[in-house]
Amino acid sequence: MKKGLILILLGTLSITLISCQRGQEQAGSAPRIAFVMKTANNPFFIEMQKGAEEEAGKLGVNLIVQAAEREVDVEKQMQIVENLIQTKIAALCVTPSGSREIVPAINKANSANIPVVIVDTRVDAKALSDSKGKIATFIGSDNYEGGKLAGERIARQLGGKGKVAVLEGIPGHETGDSRLKGFRDALKASPGIEIVASQTANWERDQGFTVFQNILQSHPDVQAVFACSDLMALGALEAIAAAKKTGQIIVIGFDASDEARKAVLSGTMDATVAQSPATMGAMAVENAYHLIKGEPVKEEMVVPIKLITKENAAATDANK
Amino acid sequence: MRVSGIGRIALRENFLSHYGRQLGTLSGLLALALVLWTLTPHFLTISNLLNIAEQATIIAIIAVGMTFVIITGGIDLSVGSVLAFAGVIMASALHSGLPLPLALLVGVGAGLLCGLVNGLLITVGRLPPFIATLGMMSVARGAALMFTEGRPISGFPENFRSLATGEVLRVPAPVIIMIGVYVIAHFVLRRTKLGRYTYAIGGNEEAALLSGINVKLYKTMVYGIAGLLSGLAAILLTARLNSAQPIAGMSYELDAIAATVIGGTSLLGGEGTVVGTLIGALIMAVLRNGLNLLGVSSFIQQIVIGTVIIVAVLIDMALKRRGN
Repeated sequence: MKKGLILILLGTLSITLISCQRGQEQAGSAPRIAFVMKTANNPFFIEMQKGAEEEAGKLGVNLIVQAAEREVDVEKQMQIVENLIQTKIAALCVTPSGSREIVPAINKANSANIPVVIVDTRVDAKALSDSKGKIATFIGSDNYEGGKLAGERIARQLGGKGKVAVLEGIPGHETGDSRLKGFRDALKASPGIEIVASQTANWERDQGFTVFQNILQSHPDVQAVFACSDLMALGALEAIAAAKKTGQIIVIGFDASDEARKAVLSGTMDATVAQSPATMGAMAVENAYHLIKGEPVKEEMVVPIKLITKENAAATDANK
Repeated sequence: MRVSGIGRIALRENFLSHYGRQLGTLSGLLALALVLWTLTPHFLTISNLLNIAEQATIIAIIAVGMTFVIITGGIDLSVGSVLAFAGVIMASALHSGLPLPLALLVGVGAGLLCGLVNGLLITVGRLPPFIATLGMMSVARGAALMFTEGRPISGFPENFRSLATGEVLRVPAPVIIMIGVYVIAHFVLRRTKLGRYTYAIGGNEEAALLSGINVKLYKTMVYGIAGLLSGLAAILLTARLNSAQPIAGMSYELDAIAATVIGGTSLLGGEGTVVGTLIGALIMAVLRNGLNLLGVSSFIQQIVIGTVIIVAVLIDMALKRRGN
C-alpha cells in the first residue's frame, strides 16, 4: 500500500515535471533569460509575456517566465529570483512586486553577476543606492505622464470645475503613486476642481465596486472618477450602473485593457490611458539580449503612453 | 504533582508510531529530491540546498506553532496576519529609534499578545478555534493596515538586516535560528509538562480535564506560542526583505497547515511531531524550488503542490491504518 502510493506520487510528479520542461531543454546552448512577472493572470502581464516570448523566438534565446501565485507576494517573488539565480541564467528581467522589497533580490543577482532589467515598476532609488544594488536598465511607461493625461482630460471634460473622486492602487506601489501624482499635478492648473474622495481599492475590481459605491453614498454629487487601473475603473462602472447613474459620471481608467476599450467605445467609460505591455515585454528581452552580448544599453527606456477615447478606441489595436 | 496517565500513554503511542511515520515522510522528501536531481543539474548543489533551507525558514517557524495548536486539536488561521502585524509594529519600533534587542522583543511580544488573545477567546470565551482565529486573522490584518496606512515600512540598519543576510560557515543566519527553534520545540514537546499536556489535551480533552490538567491554561499557552513564533517569523521576513509590509504573510497559514499535515500531524489532534513538520516544510520548499528550477508555469506549479499535499496525506493515512 505504502509503496504503491509513493509510486503514484513519483509517477505524477515525474510526468508533470518532464512534460513541463520540454521547451527548456530543447534550446540547448541558447542563452537563458528569466522573466519574473508580478503575476501570470492579469491581462496586462499576459500581454507582456506574449510580447516577451515573441521577441525571444525572434532572437533565438531561451526564455523562462515565472510569477508568484499572488501579485503582492514579494517574498515568493524573491524566492523565484533566488531559485532562478541557482540555474545560472544569463540575464534577469523582473517586474517588481514591491519597489523596495525587490532590492534584496537585485543584490543577490548582482553578486551572481547576472544583469538585471527592471520592467514596468520602478525600483525605489534610495533603497537601491543604500544597498549598493545595480540595475542595468529600466523599461516602463511614464506613469506620471499617464496620470497627467488623465487629469487634463477630466479638467477638459468638466470645463475646469467640479467634484472628482480617485480610486488608488495599493499605497507604496510606485506605478500607482506616480499616476496619482501626475493626476493631482495636472489638476493644480484647474483650481475649480476639487478631489472629494481618494481611496485605495487595492488594484482589484470587486474593491473598485464597493469602494466607489461607498463614495457615491457619501458624495452623491461626484462628477468624475479617475481609477489608477482599468480593473478598478470597471468596478466603479458597475457601481455607477447599480446606482442608475450610467453616463452621468465621467470614468477614466488606466491600462487600456480590452474590456476597458469596449467600455470606452460604448460610451460608458470616458477614456483610459494606454500602456503597451507587449512592447514592454519585447523591449525587456531585447535589452537583456544586448546585455548578454556585452553591448551597452540605455539606463532608462520609456515606452510611449497615450489616451484612448471614443475617437481613437476603434482605430488603435490593443497592445500596439 | 502527577503526570496524567493519559498523557503518558498518548506519549508512548506517539513515540512508537511516529518514528516509523516520519521515516515515510523523510523518504518522500528524498524521493522528491531524487526526481529533481535527475531532472536538473542545478538542484543538488550546496548553494541551492542552502537556498532551499533559507526559503523554508519562515513557513517552517510558523509551522512549529501550528503543530502545537493542531496537536491540541485546534487550528490557527491568524498566523499570517499576526506575522504582518508583529512585523509592522517591530519595524516602527526600530524606526522610532528603539535599541535593536528591545525592538525585537516588541515584535515577538506583539505576536505573543495576539496569540494569547486567540487562546483566551478559545478557552475562556469557548469559541471554536476556527472562528476565534478567523476573527483574529481579519483584526490583525486590519490593525497592520491601519497602523501603517497601508504603506510598507522599509529601510533598516545593517545590524538588523544581518539577521537575514548573516552567515556562519556559509549557513544563512535564518536557518540557524530555525534549527534552534526546532531543537527547543522538540524538547518542549517531548520532555516538558507543557508538551505532554499538549498531546493529552488533543488526545482526549475531557480525560485531560478529569485527570487534573489545567486545560485552559495550557491551551492558551499553546496559542501564545503560535503567536510568538509568528512574531519571530515576522522579524526574519522583515530583515530578509528590508521591509515590513502590512499585506505580508497572506495565505501563509495555509502553507503552515500543509507543512504540518504533510509532516504527519493529525488534524484530529493528539499526535504529531515537530521533526515531521520540519520535513513537511522542507518538502514544500523543495517542491517550489524544483518547479522554479525547471521553469514550470506558475499555474501548473499550483496543481503539483496541491497534488503533493493530497498524496502525502493519503500515504500518511494508509500508514496509520496499517499501524493499527
